[in-house]
Amino acid sequence: MKKLFLIGIKDLRLMFRDRAALTFMLLAPFLLTIGMGFVTGRFSGRASGLSNIPVVIVNLDQDQLGNALEDLFNSKDLADLMKPTTSSNPEAARQVIDANKASAAVIIPAGFTRSIIPAAETMLDPNYVQPIPVKIEVYANPTSPTSAGVIKAVVDDFVSRVEEGRTSGLTSIVQLMSSGLVNPQNAGSEAQASFQNVDQTESTAITLNKNTEGANAVQFDLLAYFAPGMALMFLMYTVSYGGRSILSERAQGTLPRLMISPTQTVQILGGKVLGIFFMGVAQVGILILASSIFFGVHWGDTLGVAVLILAAVFGAAGWGMVITALARTPAQVGSTGSAVMLIFGILGGSFVNLDQLSPFIRTLSKITPNAWGLDGFTTLALGGTLHNLTEPITALLIMGAVLFGISVVLFSRNGLVQK
Amino acid sequence: MKKIFAIAWKDAIIRFASSSELLFFIILPIVFTFLLAGGPPSGNEDPRISLLVVDDANTAISKQIIHELESSTSVRPEVVPHAKAQQQFDDRRADAVFIIPAGTDIAKLQSGSAQVELLQQPNNINATIAERAVLTAIRKVSSTISAAQNAVKQREAKQAFASETEKQAYFESSLKLAQNIQKDAPERVTVVEGNTKDQVDYDPRANSSAGQLITWVFIPLFGISALFAYERQQGTLRRLLTTPSRKATFLLGTISGQVAMALVQMLLLVGFGILVMKLNWGREPLALFIILFASALAAAAFGTTMGTFIKTEGQASGLSIMFGMVFALMGGCWYPLELFPPAIQNAVKILPTTWAMQGMLDLVLRGGGLTDVLPKAGVLLGFAVIFFSVGVIRFRFE
Repeated sequence: MKKLFLIGIKDLRLMFRDRAALTFMLLAPFLLTIGMGFVTGRFSGRASGLSNIPVVIVNLDQDQLGNALEDLFNSKDLADLMKPTTSSNPEAARQVIDANKASAAVIIPAGFTRSIIPAAETMLDPNYVQPIPVKIEVYANPTSPTSAGVIKAVVDDFVSRVEEGRTSGLTSIVQLMSSGLVNPQNAGSEAQASFQNVDQTESTAITLNKNTEGANAVQFDLLAYFAPGMALMFLMYTVSYGGRSILSERAQGTLPRLMISPTQTVQILGGKVLGIFFMGVAQVGILILASSIFFGVHWGDTLGVAVLILAAVFGAAGWGMVITALARTPAQVGSTGSAVMLIFGILGGSFVNLDQLSPFIRTLSKITPNAWGLDGFTTLALGGTLHNLTEPITALLIMGAVLFGISVVLFSRNGLVQK
Repeated sequence: MKKIFAIAWKDAIIRFASSSELLFFIILPIVFTFLLAGGPPSGNEDPRISLLVVDDANTAISKQIIHELESSTSVRPEVVPHAKAQQQFDDRRADAVFIIPAGTDIAKLQSGSAQVELLQQPNNINATIAERAVLTAIRKVSSTISAAQNAVKQREAKQAFASETEKQAYFESSLKLAQNIQKDAPERVTVVEGNTKDQVDYDPRANSSAGQLITWVFIPLFGISALFAYERQQGTLRRLLTTPSRKATFLLGTISGQVAMALVQMLLLVGFGILVMKLNWGREPLALFIILFASALAAAAFGTTMGTFIKTEGQASGLSIMFGMVFALMGGCWYPLELFPPAIQNAVKILPTTWAMQGMLDLVLRGGGLTDVLPKAGVLLGFAVIFFSVGVIRFRFE
């Protein structure tokens, strides 16, 4: 065990002496994380999610329903979500949207209320002709589809409530008239009364029970995704760098020397693997620590972070060993390692969120330690704990074990583990 | 001239000695261009907020509710098993989970005992939006029943029913009437799309094609530094001292060879852009050649300067990739420059990647021509002059 450990520590020391390798393993992911921080608005406070959506309200109706909708946008319920302003000029409101200064304009035309709630005297007049429906116009900003969609949802919700009230009021009054319980003289005023709170109708047929967890809200930090994304990508370089050292030792003759010493092959190989493992843990650990210190990234459950780093490095080290076992020269390990680093980087979600890629790519990403590691880091950043990491950690451990098994077979075939 | 060609040819042989070089030369650039351009359609470009729905009822009513949610403009329902939804919610991967319990059917709606559940993450705006969408959906489904129930109540307030049968008959006729009223209800909201001009000049295919071209061509050109380090480590640079070859001949041979290979690589990637991604790269061939050539020269010059500072091949290859990736990201090759804060947008003007990207976007995205490209090409040539000068002055055989 001591020999195994000594070989591992020796390789770790060698890594820390190689300034070029250190620059690449630590500085590159750190600089790329900073770049991603700028892109995502993390450093400019632009990435705060959907809130304070600017919306322009034009209430030309100035009647019961128009005023109710205007009040809804200005209500306390929507205070965090909406940032409404009012205008009396529809054309000016549309220009605000065209100038990209708001997400949508809600234009309530004159006569909107009357088109839904007719005046008492006309309500039950058999000769009364229904006017052409007056429609609320949502003038949406195409560059803010989500925000405009949310505004549309608020308007839809209001209109469906009104429609429900109208349906309910009309049904009641028509049925009462059919039953002869309302006479034509007072039918108008009865009908008017049933439309009084048409915008506040609440369905009772289905009750919605809301269940909000008692825990505190968690604000997801985008850097908690991109920083480990970059760290995991460059981890693939580190594990291949470690693998390269096995072939370098063979080329330089130090590996045969070790083999003639009273050290078992399994100890030598195990020590080299331990060295790769140490390097990976040091690299990812330093990057995680640096992100916390310099950018204030909250990684969540410390124990979960530590276990996840160990599992991710184990999975990645498995790939490093397979690459080494397949290569013939240190240079081959270097170039293949760089290629695998980049391929796994894009497949594993280091450059783009996996949700934006096709289902096929998302399935393929499961072969990368990057995807599982990022999955775990995202869970932790969202407030999860070690308890929630069962799936990614199990997957990484299985990945590492299977790949180590494959590499041992390959090493045996090319004679590296034979004494 | 013969010597220059011989040196360039020798470098090409060294570079392509391993077939893995083809991976970096053409295969990876194409894979990255394709994936970052959006790849094959994912079918998941829906910008609506994801809402996990658990349909434990599996009744006509539950299906109707889900159908209403599907037509929502703010949420995208995704029906999943109960355990999976709960797991995702517990892992905080889902903002909200809508659960329709077993037994949610018309009878329960009539009796007013139907209950559905919405799990929401605390203080989460997406969960609030989901709640609004769910309320709208269940209201649409239950409104006719509510209307009929209300009609029964109004009737009872005026005159009690003689029997339960009469009450049920009144409910059923009211329900039918309410359904007809709802069916005849006109659309009351219209959505008009504004004429807002997108502030960010962006087309994923054009940006990806130009951005990946720059990334994958600049990295090997920065790698000229590795060639110098390799020759220096091998001692072959010293051997050149014994031959009647000048420093300029060696530099010109090495650099021109790499620039020529870069141009071939660029043309292959431009060809991929034209043929596969249907991009308009070939509209102004002269302008395209000028910007590609100026970009290659600027990158090669930077690689030359790097080569005079770096001692080993290992250092050179690591730093080439690092500078290549960082310059590409900061120069707007991976994400539009407009996404960066204004101060950073100004600061990155010191990078050749910024000018190369803008020049190429002028052609492939903005429909520009020679006059648009020339200022960017001029800046890139300025970079080339400065870095070549530093490189030549500092270059040593040993």
